[in-house]
Amino acid sequence: MMSDGETCRVRMTGISKRYGPIQTLDDVSLNLKPGEVLGLVGDNGAGKSTLSKVLSGAVIPDSGTIEIDGKAVSFSSPADARAARVEMVYQDLSLCDTVDVAGNLFLGREPRRHVLGVPFLDNRRMHEQTREMLDRLGIVIADTRLKVENLSGGQRQSIAIGRAASFDPSVLIMDEPTAALAVAEVEAVLELIRAVSARGVSVILITHRLQDLFLVCDRIQVMYEGRNVAERRIGDTSIEEVVNLIVGRKFIARSARASRDEGAQP
Amino acid sequence: MNVTSAGVGASPPKRANNSTWKDLAAANGSVVSIALFFIVVCVVFSLVTGSFLTTPNLLNIVRQSAPLLIVAAAMTFVITTGGIDLSVGSVLALTATLSAVALQAGLPWPLVVVGMLALGAAIGALQGFFIAYERIPAFIVTLAGLSVIRGVALLITGGYSIPVEPTSFFVNIGRAWFLGVPVPALLALVVLAIAYLAFNQTPFGRYVTGIGANAEAVRRAGVDTRFMTLFVYVLSGMAAASAGVILAARLGSGSSNSGQGFELDVIAAVVLGGTSLFGGRGTIIGTVLGALTVAVIGNGLILAHMSPFLTPIVTGTIILVAIWLNFRLFKGATRSR
Repeated sequence: MMSDGETCRVRMTGISKRYGPIQTLDDVSLNLKPGEVLGLVGDNGAGKSTLSKVLSGAVIPDSGTIEIDGKAVSFSSPADARAARVEMVYQDLSLCDTVDVAGNLFLGREPRRHVLGVPFLDNRRMHEQTREMLDRLGIVIADTRLKVENLSGGQRQSIAIGRAASFDPSVLIMDEPTAALAVAEVEAVLELIRAVSARGVSVILITHRLQDLFLVCDRIQVMYEGRNVAERRIGDTSIEEVVNLIVGRKFIARSARASRDEGAQP
Repeated sequence: MNVTSAGVGASPPKRANNSTWKDLAAANGSVVSIALFFIVVCVVFSLVTGSFLTTPNLLNIVRQSAPLLIVAAAMTFVITTGGIDLSVGSVLALTATLSAVALQAGLPWPLVVVGMLALGAAIGALQGFFIAYERIPAFIVTLAGLSVIRGVALLITGGYSIPVEPTSFFVNIGRAWFLGVPVPALLALVVLAIAYLAFNQTPFGRYVTGIGANAEAVRRAGVDTRFMTLFVYVLSGMAAASAGVILAARLGSGSSNSGQGFELDVIAAVVLGGTSLFGGRGTIIGTVLGALTVAVIGNGLILAHMSPFLTPIVTGTIILVAIWLNFRLFKGATRSR
């Protein structure tokens, strides 16, 4: 899978984006192979989220090119990215609390049966398909009739990921999917990410939880102040090195300039 | 993979089972409590007055509460999207007067009925446009509607009530009996059955609930949420218009003063039934029970020879107590996240 062929699922090159005086992205590149899990890390404001928004069509870059499966694309809206099978998981923006699990997974594309030309929900088929989908992805939820508001944070996150995965994406972008979850639930979500990537979906995982990276990622890309600073195969690096890549330079650069920041160090 | 999911599986199902119970309580708790209230109210009036629990009186209640039931069913959709429609009482008055005027002008009654429904739909569409597409809060838009539409009705009639010819077939809509049941009650039953199916069994009902819970999620799912939002106001406008027609037919006249405070009765019935004013949670069954409770209180107090002015006091108190009990008993379930 990791052969160095030309089979790049995503190839972003020379992406730049400027907001007023702030160069949020400066000549950033990103490559992603089919079925690969790429960890995108960096401090707050390093440009990870902006980069993922460029790929999901929510932000239009000032310059740079995006290729998907070797074809140049230009996204002017999230709908364009979706059409190119790039999905982004937004937990809080994709679930309806008072609707049940099956309803959330099938929101907007419910199985229907027509009685006298009137569309009715085909609840039985919807719940059966939901059960299949959950089992296939290893998501543990007792009853597909549960309302999402009664699920735990990890289960909600799993539903959001499962929903995105069910659109048969080729790239799935997740921004902090494991933030604020209990330990066992982090495991379940990471397991789900592995299950999704095993099905050939390329995943970009943005997270501050460095230990998660070592559990699921194949590769890590470190960003710093809008630039790529490093890229490591997961087997060739360690948490210490990644921490240094994220924080270290900033440390030196800032403390050399301003004593005010030094005061804030300890 | 199997190892981990099995390991994780050990704890979530417990939580899930637990929340199944809570979910059932939350889903049905409000309906259960309004059902209890309804039964208590009925039992009390049966004991206090001899004439309450008689077939003619019960049929009279459903006949009189038909407009309330019909509009409350539509209002359940509106409130479940997180909106409100304060203009229903005024639309009722306008359509009641206009149907009397139109009949006096010699228009055939089917045309009048269809025309009034179309007028209600048009008013709802106009208000829905401002709410859904122009993003003006529903409270403001329909408050303006309440004032303007009532004003139009007053302007047309000069404040007088306009009689309907008692020989016209039109009055049958409000007065006739069919299979031993008053026609307005049958009409309400049909509307409620359709509303129940639409709310619980169709994609439209699902999106109405979804819009109230998280409109952005529904929009991202590719649903035209703005049109859906507009459409619920079309429904409430049409429901209010049909209520106006039924009222004019039953009373044999159209008065621009009818339906004063009707919107508050409707909202009370819906909220009493367990539909959340914040949106995302609605129940047609609860609305039916809520509307019948409001109707029974009014009827029972009169039969018990109490002052009719007690009705609003008792209704208001019951609304507060019922919703307070809901909050207390099922707080954990409804507010958990």
